Amino acid sequence: MNKLTSPVLIIAAKEICDCSRNHWMGFMGSIFLLLSLSVTFAGSAVTGSLYLPDLASLMSSLSTISVFIIPLAAILLSYDSFVGEDESGTLLLLLSYPLTRSQILCGKLLGHMTVMLLATGFSFGLTAILLLLIGEQYQASELIAAFAQFLLSSNLLALTFILFSYIVSLKSTEKAKAVGCLLLVWFLFVLIYDLLLLTILVSDLSFVNQYVVNILIALSPTDLYRAINLMAIDGGDARGSLAMISQSDWGLAGTYALMLSWIAVLSWISHGVFKRKRL
Amino acid sequence: MNEIPIKLTDIGLKYDDFTALDGVSFEVESGQTMALLGHNGAGKSSLIKIILGLITPSSGSVNIMGSQGKLSHHKHKINLGYLPEDVSFYDKLTGREVLNYFAALKRVRPTRVADLIDEFGLGYAQDRQLKTYSKGMKQRLGVAQAILSEPGILLLDEPTVGLDPQASKFLYGKINQLKQAGCAVVVSTHELSLVESHMDTALIMSKGRRLALGTSSELSAGSSIKTGIEFAELASWVERDHYLRRFFIDGRLQVESAQKQQMIKYLVSQCQIFDFTLHKPKLEDIYHDLMMHPLVDQSAQQ
Ligand SMILES: Nc1ncnc2c1ncn2[C@@H]1O[C@H](COP(=O)(O)OP(=O)(O)O)[C@@H](O)[C@H]1O
Ligand SMILES: [Mg+2]
Repeated sequence: MNKLTSPVLIIAAKEICDCSRNHWMGFMGSIFLLLSLSVTFAGSAVTGSLYLPDLASLMSSLSTISVFIIPLAAILLSYDSFVGEDESGTLLLLLSYPLTRSQILCGKLLGHMTVMLLATGFSFGLTAILLLLIGEQYQASELIAAFAQFLLSSNLLALTFILFSYIVSLKSTEKAKAVGCLLLVWFLFVLIYDLLLLTILVSDLSFVNQYVVNILIALSPTDLYRAINLMAIDGGDARGSLAMISQSDWGLAGTYALMLSWIAVLSWISHGVFKRKRL
Repeated sequence: MNEIPIKLTDIGLKYDDFTALDGVSFEVESGQTMALLGHNGAGKSSLIKIILGLITPSSGSVNIMGSQGKLSHHKHKINLGYLPEDVSFYDKLTGREVLNYFAALKRVRPTRVADLIDEFGLGYAQDRQLKTYSKGMKQRLGVAQAILSEPGILLLDEPTVGLDPQASKFLYGKINQLKQAGCAVVVSTHELSLVESHMDTALIMSKGRRLALGTSSELSAGSSIKTGIEFAELASWVERDHYLRRFFIDGRLQVESAQKQQMIKYLVSQCQIFDFTLHKPKLEDIYHDLMMHPLVDQSAQQ
């Protein structure tokens, strides 16, 4: 660790070390791998012979599961990053060091993002390699592009939830409260909001036009994630009630931009909360 | 450049409606150790956090190494060592990794870490995770962390909690070494007998106010605790001498600080006694006395 000189890198390296020691990396990596393998090879298990889904439906099932599991993993990764250090007194100590609060925040963020990238990259990357090796029906370039897109959007989604966790962690006085509060956030964005959105989409209310749907999607990072993945697959040829999501006028680049604005706003809020945190 | 390292003037601190500190002033010079004493909740930790610039006082001025006001702007230039109370470091890291982490953040060279681990007797455990450490071992690590950078200002919040007698002695030895090099030290502690022989001044606080500030002899002069005097054949002297009899309590002569010189003069000139033992009031007795009769410190009342 001593070879690093920038405080941000030193803190990031320590966070990565922590995450590998507390088995988050191993545990979450295995879960991601298990999920992506079972989604990929479930068809084979049912039919009894090697049957691989086409790329579009594979990516669609992967993202349907990831939208639940990635935010949860991000929350588990980072819920105690500030409340934990606050309870143990090391936050007080770090702040007495020649460090700024933004350096501490950036260091943690860099560390957690690296861990997330490693875990998702390993498990989904392995799945992609397996598919390239045994599935003849896929075009290598298409498959790689689809997985790259999936990895990028998944990590952006993870980033928003890591930032949510920081804000809650900075605001909480106890670890248990932080977890509870974050599970509520997860429940809200992953289940409730989606449920409401889907209900609105299928109920065909008169005031609901594409414009309202666009706004509703932009207001939730998980729906932006769904939209990105639906659009990426086949440019709006999605089936059923989700079609409206993928038809939103934002476009792929626009949806990414919205995701990035979520990240920017959340970073700004967490920095503000940290700056005003009383010790 | 003879700036006073720590100078706090008329500090007040409020947590919402609760007044945690009220009109506290003191200074610590280079090469001085100040003991920060007081009951739980007296405001010791808050005072240390104010020196560190981690909390801003509601009133009064903080002057650290000659730089006034917001410490955070100057923090980067001041070499500070700090041990928070009740700190528990990262459980998953080994002792050496924890020290290396803090050393890297302070840009201290790694050989210093190895030296400190040896000096603090943690060599045998340096590659074990901290969750296997005892409380005292963690505390040693914490103290080692505080003196990593050979600081010019050292703030220790209850550093001897959990330390065995040898480790405490070693700690005060270390503090004295740093003092020689001109470090200003503030130690908050409840172990009065330990700190007594190593401190230069003591600040005694109660309920956020300053009860007393001064060297041992200034404190005993200010308190109503009496000095005991004993010598050979004291009892027979008391039989014969009316003057001495007035001060004879519980088998020894007991005089107030103000009368001490006079009594010694009397013994030497009138009684020809040159061989006597003085029992100066212990810090502990002064402390308890101050806690019971808190209106002694005149300057703090102004
Ligand atoms: N963050 C805080 N919020 C409200 N009250 C506090 C806070 N920190 C300390 N206090 C109160 O301030 C007083 C002084 O606390 P502290 O400085 O920790 O005392 P000591 O270290 O002498 O035991 C206590 O009564 C404590 O309850
Ligand atoms: Mg305290």
